[in-house]
Amino acid sequence: MNTIENNLHTIDKLSELQQRDLWMNKLHPLTRLLSSVIYIVLVASFDKYDIVHLAIMAVYPFFCFMVGELSLKDGLYRMRVVLPLVLAVGLPNPFFDRQVLIMAGSFAITGGMVSMVVLMIKGLFTVLALYVLIATSSVEDICYALRCLHVPKTIVIVVLLIGRYIYMLGSEASRITTAYRLRAPRQKGIHYKAWGTLVGQWLIRSMDRAQVVYESMCLRGFRGDFPESKRGVRLNDVLYTLVWALVLGALRFTGAVELIGQLFVA
Amino acid sequence: MHMADALVSTAVAGTMYVCSTGVAAWSVKKVKEENDPKKIPLMGVMGAFVFATQMLNFTIPGTGSSGHLCGGMMLSALLGPWAGFLTMIGVLLVQCLLFADGGLLALGCNIWNMAFYGCFVGALLIWRPIMKNGASRLKIAAASVIGCILTLQMGAFSVCLETLASGVTELPFGVFVGVMQPIHLAIGLVEGLITAAVLIFINEARPEYLWGVGESNGAEGRLSRRGTIGVLAVLAAFFGGVVSLFASAFPDGLEWSMEKVAGTAELERAGGAYASAAGIQDVTSLLPDYAFKGSESVFGTTFSGIVGGVVVVGVCVGVSLLFRFFKNKKVAEQTDNS
Amino acid sequence: MKTGTEKRVLEVSDLKYSYEKGHQVLKGVTFDVNAGENIGLIGANGVGKSTLLKLLVGLDLHFEGTIHVSGHSMSRDSLTHIREHIGYVFQDSDSQLFMSTVEEDVAFGPRNYDMSETDVEKRVADALERVHITNLRKKQVYKLSGGEKKLAAIAAILAMEPDLILMDEPSVALDPRNRRNLISVLGEIPGTKLIASHDLDFIVKTCSRTILMYDGVVRADGPTKDILENAQLLEECGL
Repeated sequence: MNTIENNLHTIDKLSELQQRDLWMNKLHPLTRLLSSVIYIVLVASFDKYDIVHLAIMAVYPFFCFMVGELSLKDGLYRMRVVLPLVLAVGLPNPFFDRQVLIMAGSFAITGGMVSMVVLMIKGLFTVLALYVLIATSSVEDICYALRCLHVPKTIVIVVLLIGRYIYMLGSEASRITTAYRLRAPRQKGIHYKAWGTLVGQWLIRSMDRAQVVYESMCLRGFRGDFPESKRGVRLNDVLYTLVWALVLGALRFTGAVELIGQLFVA
Repeated sequence: MHMADALVSTAVAGTMYVCSTGVAAWSVKKVKEENDPKKIPLMGVMGAFVFATQMLNFTIPGTGSSGHLCGGMMLSALLGPWAGFLTMIGVLLVQCLLFADGGLLALGCNIWNMAFYGCFVGALLIWRPIMKNGASRLKIAAASVIGCILTLQMGAFSVCLETLASGVTELPFGVFVGVMQPIHLAIGLVEGLITAAVLIFINEARPEYLWGVGESNGAEGRLSRRGTIGVLAVLAAFFGGVVSLFASAFPDGLEWSMEKVAGTAELERAGGAYASAAGIQDVTSLLPDYAFKGSESVFGTTFSGIVGGVVVVGVCVGVSLLFRFFKNKKVAEQTDNS
Repeated sequence: MKTGTEKRVLEVSDLKYSYEKGHQVLKGVTFDVNAGENIGLIGANGVGKSTLLKLLVGLDLHFEGTIHVSGHSMSRDSLTHIREHIGYVFQDSDSQLFMSTVEEDVAFGPRNYDMSETDVEKRVADALERVHITNLRKKQVYKLSGGEKKLAAIAAILAMEPDLILMDEPSVALDPRNRRNLISVLGEIPGTKLIASHDLDFIVKTCSRTILMYDGVVRADGPTKDILENAQLLEECGL
């Protein structure tokens, strides 16, 4: 049951990465969010057999992991959450799609094989791009970016508060399970007889806490609205998104790769 | 049950974003109308609470495995469907931002699959009707279990539809559904029981915390009927949309019905969604034999037309918002400097 | 005691309060606070210290009697105004610090009162400086220690520059070093403070005047030394 501690550790580690004083981390939050979103959308939009062009899209995560000084191992580790469903969906492809696309010697490469690999690559790239975003941007950063995109304040405030209290409630969950385990050493989880009382009491405590949070807000002038700070946009921020949009767009929609290739072949 | 970015095509993701955004806008409006500032911190703390409880393991009697708590049903039983839905959006987004659970592109799908069914179907169609004349242990247990099973089944079915409509898998629809539904039936039952246990405790300790208990007749009743019709309409639109998506990507699945309706079976094997993609895209020399031909079916054109329109409008809105944002910034900075 | 020329920041007169279930917890509390005073509020568990503090900041308006904060009578209409003049440091810092970083939390109050960003910035810097946690400015709240959280919570209140600061059990759950630090920080902060606590030693070190509550009324009100040296009185009041 140390999954809770693992989760807390993950949050901790992520916030250390976010706090680093790097060029990537100093970009405007909207810049970071937009470039990741553009990338993920483009990667997802590739055809299921278009393995070559898709592979070239590796340039973005590559650049970000280099400039953002991120560990590829940590990025890959994030795959574990999405992997099961991606595998379940992708692995059967070779069995159903047996259309031969290409003969590599006597070995027939079928559409199913290619589409399976494409799916895996897509899974990898999108997770890495998301990791780049979350390893450089805190929840507050993203919330700020969302506000710039006119996402309703109610949602953004709720996200901010969840981000603020998740670690604290996670630690409470950890203490509760530890205390429980110490008195019930043989059980793997929480016994069904304790489901209601254990979680229920904790829930009531949390709701009471929400009441105090509310009071504390009121005492500092809260009237249903959260004040916002502002962050300036620099030329760098605009250029960063623009350059990536152009580069990735060219890779996705034009024969740029072929043209570049012809320069060398011819 | 989190969808991953890799599993959705942009068309499916975009469609689901539009659906989820619509419901979110409605919910924001409803929460604003309630005008209860107390709810804001409550939503935040409850969101973090649900998130934290999902880290807890509950032993399932008679088996060696463990289950988790069902967030959507729980939140709407405490906060009501609208605030519950917005809170679930928060939970899903934070899960994505802290644990890379789900993805940014698939977020629209995830919000729909988990938050929409859990909160609206769970609260408006199951919880409130059952609690109309007051709560009891049995009623709470029934509402929680039925609610969790039903909403999870709908969610799992949507996962299948969205994945297949995205065209990333060759898995036959029947097989996929046949695997997903029974698994989620078991999960739903367990989640329902855990949720029931907690809500029964709350009903005994602080009954005033439960939403929608003993609400019947009068203006509230009318409102609820309107709400119910709204939910049904959105549901119908969604299933209509996804089924047509599905139909366009995998026409042979619906070929027989097309034959009956239109008297034609001229739908080609290759998917319409990919036909349009292929039109834009240069087919590489590595895959010379691979091309789409003559697949601009009726479904294909209308479908790609709709998607294209949505995308163009979306991009247009995005670009203008962005432009405005950067322009405002510049103006603000200039005034600051002067 | 004090002359009438000094500014009254708080006047409480014949304050009565009952819980919903009918138990009367305050049975007629009367006292005044003048600008610049540091007052300890002591009393046994359940005597109504926390309830009193909540009434003073207007978190509950179902009371009898009168409360005046900086000349404004406590009522629903005057709440916004009154809360600009009075700050409340909660016992549980985690509930008080709801923003993600120290800086954002301290800025929350000033921003809510529509100050310009430059003024907010100045308030935040000042407040952090006063409790010596400028170095924690960018830190995330969940990563602070208990002592740091308490100081951040105090900074969040100082940033609003209230006439009067109320504190509920500020020394609870602090280790000896953090407690000593808090005492010295409170000594440096100018202004008027009303501190509710069980920690008598803490009161001795931070407050010159003490109000002793017992059975819903003010049992004694005077110099801290006189009250805390009266062992018989303390014993009678369950301390």
